[in-house]
Amino acid sequence: MSGWEILIPGFCGMGLHLKMDGFRMVYTAIAVVMWGVAGIFSREYMAHYKNKARYYIFFWATFLATVGVFLSADLYTTFIFFEIMSFTSYVWVAFDEKAESLRAAETYLAVAVIGGMVMLMGLFLLHDVLGTLDMDQIGPAARAVLAGKETFESGQAVHVAGGFSSAKVQLYVAGGLMLFGFGAKAGCFPLHIWLPKAHPVAPAPASALLSGILTKAGIFGVILVSCVMFGSDGAWGLLIAGLGLVTMFLGALLAVFSVNLKRTLACSSVSQIGFIMTGIGMSCLLAWAGEGNLLAVRGAFLHMVNHSLIKLVLFLCAGAVYMNLHQLDLNDVRGFGRGKPALCFCFLMGALGIGGIPLWNGYVSKTLLHESIVEYAHLLEEGALAGEAAGVSPALLPVLTDPSVWKAAEWVFLFTGGMTVAYMVKLFVALFVDRHPTRQAEFDEMSSHYMRPLSRAALVGAAAILPVLGMAPHLTMDRLADLGQGFFQGVGHAHAIHFFSFVNLKGGLISIGIGAVLYVAVIRQFLMKPRKEGGRDYADLWPVWLDLENLVYRPVLEKALPGICGAVFGVLEQYIISVPLKVFMALSALVCRSFDHMVDGLVVLARKTVCRQLPEPKTYLEGNWLAHVLGTFVDGWLLLWDGLTGKRTKGEPRGSAVSRFIDRERRLKHMGELVEQSFSFGLMLACIGLCVTLGYLLASFYHWM
Amino acid sequence: MEGNVILLLPVVCPILAGVLVLAGKMFRKDRKSLMAVSLAVLLLEAGLTAWALTSGGSIQVWRLTGQMNISFHVDEISRLFGALTAAVWLLVGIYSVAYMSHEEEEHRFFGYYLIVVGVLMGLNFSANLITMYVFFEMMTLTSLPLVLHERSRAAVMAGLKYLFYSVAGAFLALFGIFFLAGVAEDLTFAAGGILNDNMVAGKEGLLLASTFCMIVGFGAKAGMFPLHGWLPTAHPVAPACASAVLSGLITKAGVLAVIRVVYFIVGPDRLRGTWVQNGWILLALMTVFMGSMLAYKEPVLKKRLAYSTVSQVSYVMFGLSLLTPIGFVGALSHVVFHSVIKHTLFLAAGAIIVTTGWTRVEQMRGLGRVMPLTLGCYTVASLALIGIPPASGFVSKWYLACGALASGTGIWSWVGPAVLLVSALLTAGYLLPLTIQGYFPGHDFKGEEIEKRKLAGKEPSLWMLGPVGILAAAALLFGCFPDSLVAMAQSIAAMVL
Repeated sequence: MSGWEILIPGFCGMGLHLKMDGFRMVYTAIAVVMWGVAGIFSREYMAHYKNKARYYIFFWATFLATVGVFLSADLYTTFIFFEIMSFTSYVWVAFDEKAESLRAAETYLAVAVIGGMVMLMGLFLLHDVLGTLDMDQIGPAARAVLAGKETFESGQAVHVAGGFSSAKVQLYVAGGLMLFGFGAKAGCFPLHIWLPKAHPVAPAPASALLSGILTKAGIFGVILVSCVMFGSDGAWGLLIAGLGLVTMFLGALLAVFSVNLKRTLACSSVSQIGFIMTGIGMSCLLAWAGEGNLLAVRGAFLHMVNHSLIKLVLFLCAGAVYMNLHQLDLNDVRGFGRGKPALCFCFLMGALGIGGIPLWNGYVSKTLLHESIVEYAHLLEEGALAGEAAGVSPALLPVLTDPSVWKAAEWVFLFTGGMTVAYMVKLFVALFVDRHPTRQAEFDEMSSHYMRPLSRAALVGAAAILPVLGMAPHLTMDRLADLGQGFFQGVGHAHAIHFFSFVNLKGGLISIGIGAVLYVAVIRQFLMKPRKEGGRDYADLWPVWLDLENLVYRPVLEKALPGICGAVFGVLEQYIISVPLKVFMALSALVCRSFDHMVDGLVVLARKTVCRQLPEPKTYLEGNWLAHVLGTFVDGWLLLWDGLTGKRTKGEPRGSAVSRFIDRERRLKHMGELVEQSFSFGLMLACIGLCVTLGYLLASFYHWM
Repeated sequence: MEGNVILLLPVVCPILAGVLVLAGKMFRKDRKSLMAVSLAVLLLEAGLTAWALTSGGSIQVWRLTGQMNISFHVDEISRLFGALTAAVWLLVGIYSVAYMSHEEEEHRFFGYYLIVVGVLMGLNFSANLITMYVFFEMMTLTSLPLVLHERSRAAVMAGLKYLFYSVAGAFLALFGIFFLAGVAEDLTFAAGGILNDNMVAGKEGLLLASTFCMIVGFGAKAGMFPLHGWLPTAHPVAPACASAVLSGLITKAGVLAVIRVVYFIVGPDRLRGTWVQNGWILLALMTVFMGSMLAYKEPVLKKRLAYSTVSQVSYVMFGLSLLTPIGFVGALSHVVFHSVIKHTLFLAAGAIIVTTGWTRVEQMRGLGRVMPLTLGCYTVASLALIGIPPASGFVSKWYLACGALASGTGIWSWVGPAVLLVSALLTAGYLLPLTIQGYFPGHDFKGEEIEKRKLAGKEPSLWMLGPVGILAAAALLFGCFPDSLVAMAQSIAAMVL
């Protein structure tokens, strides 16, 4: 599938390059659908907010930038649109200007700016070593560098910047920096910190887009780096798959413990991004092992598509709750969905989809991802890799070739699938099965007018896509995958997968089983607390959630979890990033400040020491001794004279002569100074004149001679 | 006097007009005629500059002795700097009409304002090192009254500091000029340098030392460490329009002088790989980081912008110090971009100060309610300075980094871009808080002061907003369509390297 291309040479220096192919078409279509649905929903959601114009301007600006990212055909263009997208979407997070929104927006902006700059550094290095940023050319060029060649196919020599031992090292550093930048946007561990903060505070349509498609812009870059540049690199595949597994597990764990509706969905997004990253990593590993990797490629791509569509529906459902109640805590919103079939249908479709239940769309992509891990483990068991372990440092080989590691990875995958089921059940039960202890009647009364018909139609329409995709996978999803897989530059042939055969259903069913056990045994037992003061019947039968957060989640999150995985989070955020950063900032500010004052300091030092003003000879405070002596003498004489002549013995006394003398003396002194100064000025001018004359004479002599 | 007399016009006309404005009694009393004459001269200056730049050629004005003479000529570098100076000077002049109505002794400001542009044109058109040095010193002296304008104690002290640093820098440079005059008979600029091996045989060490002195000395005007101290002192006390041109154009005169010395007298090939290049890169990168860091810590807006200038002009210095064509292109484009951006920022800061009286960033919470358009222009310029595409700073940063990576300067080739990006992060850290607090003051912000003083929606007059808006638009559009500028810079780079 090939389409049109647009080149705008010279724009921003290097020019814009956009093109259309299968992957880009699918994602442009998804963007249009998502922005359309979210836009329709916004009309109702934003009705009571101020600054609507600001919201809509940045809403559509972000749309254009995001489409620009997905259409870009070279990384330069990608970066330009990526940065625009980061900055325009900032306004969404900060939109309602509450304290926590502003704090979350600060985190979002910091991650976006730092991620952007790190990515830019990666692009500098990449452009330097490969000489191109065109997506069609970086693949072959990177392979040439990884193979250790000196020149590219075009004959151009591989350039190595100073300080790097080889082009390969430079390429890895560039790739790592770009992964940092794209991964930060995608929400990959350990840069996922903005997601759980930003989503709950942004308006719901914006959360849907942030989670559903802006993270995919990050994934778009991860695909470029991983599949296009390091497509068959074992070490890189291990890195991505490892990050993916950690991200999926931690995200799901956070989601299980969360009691905030949108926060749970945000953590779920982190987890699902982990699934996609795992797929991307597996595609690298399978290609490294010399096998066809289309299973992983198709799984990753379809999971991207599925997650976009599912999160659109789920976040808009959360938005429907929020715009009526202005609350998101599960304890406050529980029971809201009772008697609201449209909302229930939409949420159920999303939950079933993301939970990987057979017949819904998430099942298909998760099955493919699962199969790709199984296939890799199977390959290792057969020992097919013995002779092909090339291009990877020996330290990594045991991990890459030990089948038990990948069996464990498979179980992490299945267990995370189980957690996904568990937290979606938790949300569903809270919203649609539970009853609110005090406000249930009020909630029921809202059933007729909680959502306008237009919003409802858009939401139900979006939700209806999910089962359609899942029930006819060969008609729909296989075709989507056919369109999209070219972008991943996968190898091998796609073979038809029987999604509903027992082998494939087994994985899904194991996850569902784990999810059921987790929900019943963990969530119901440990993550819920019976309300003590509740006297009514159903409160005894149905554990109440009221103090859940304070009594269960907070202690668990603050005490038990730090022992397991929270320590990783806490330590990472607090002691590896935050404290050294502060120390670094303080130290460098100090050093810079001292540099800043260096020259001034030298001047001051000189003035205090060698060039200090010498103390002046001691004088009277006013006037010199002569004025005092003369003045006192005149005063005395006048006094005597007055006494002798008998005049002026009464009346006002004559002013002291001392002050008159002092005054006269000062004037004289001043005049003296003026004379002195003008004299010395005249002398100086004369000297300059002499010097000039002398110089002129010398110069003319020199010239004549 | 032989040659193209047109070249004299943009130099002489504004200086004469400035002297007239200073001397004429009518300009002290009659504000209207002062403004009319000033604006007319600035417009005329723009026209004359365009005429001179297109007609080109050279002219010898005055022969001092031997090969020492005062002469002008126009080359590509003069075109770039001359066009930039004339255009920006005109815009700031229009802004000053409204801004200076809040100050006293307007005729004195406008008088010196006109004289300085003539002197700057002389500097841009200089054909040899002697001429350039003469105009460089004149620029220091004639721009001093702009700093001193308010005549407060702080202003006088800042003016003295400005003078001290400039003179110290110029004397350092003078040492180099004496040395160069000794080895080369004729100090007329020529692309790629004028020295040949016979001239410097046996004096290579002294040549390098004197070149370094000249770089550091002229670098004082460009705010390069260690002689950057005048910038953060002089800017906050000067009127905003004076700070803008000091920061946006006078610092570029330092850059021009360094370009002339390194690329037109000494020659880049003589410096490549020497301790001078390494020292220069080190100083430039230190300044880049130091300026950003101190700006980040600085609460007073204009002082923050001054530190930002220290940092940003050293981006240019870094690009020049690489001695590669791509780095040179990055440096020249950053000269233009930074000039446009910094003028926008300073003029916006001036508008804020005049309208609200707020000088510190933390006072400016809720500024978006007072002057959303001005703050919008500020934001566009901020994003451009950080280097967010497609605004202009990104383009120059791209070329600077590519030039660094291709420069073959060892570890600097990637440390340089890394420092630029860390500095860009800090730039975001010191510029964006104003935007964020301005537009998103928070839920609890009531804006009592804004209500009490009836400031809401009080944009500055069109005289001020117009130039700010034009400059902000230029900061954005130059980034989107940098083709002609980059092509011009590339042609210069091809000549000198």
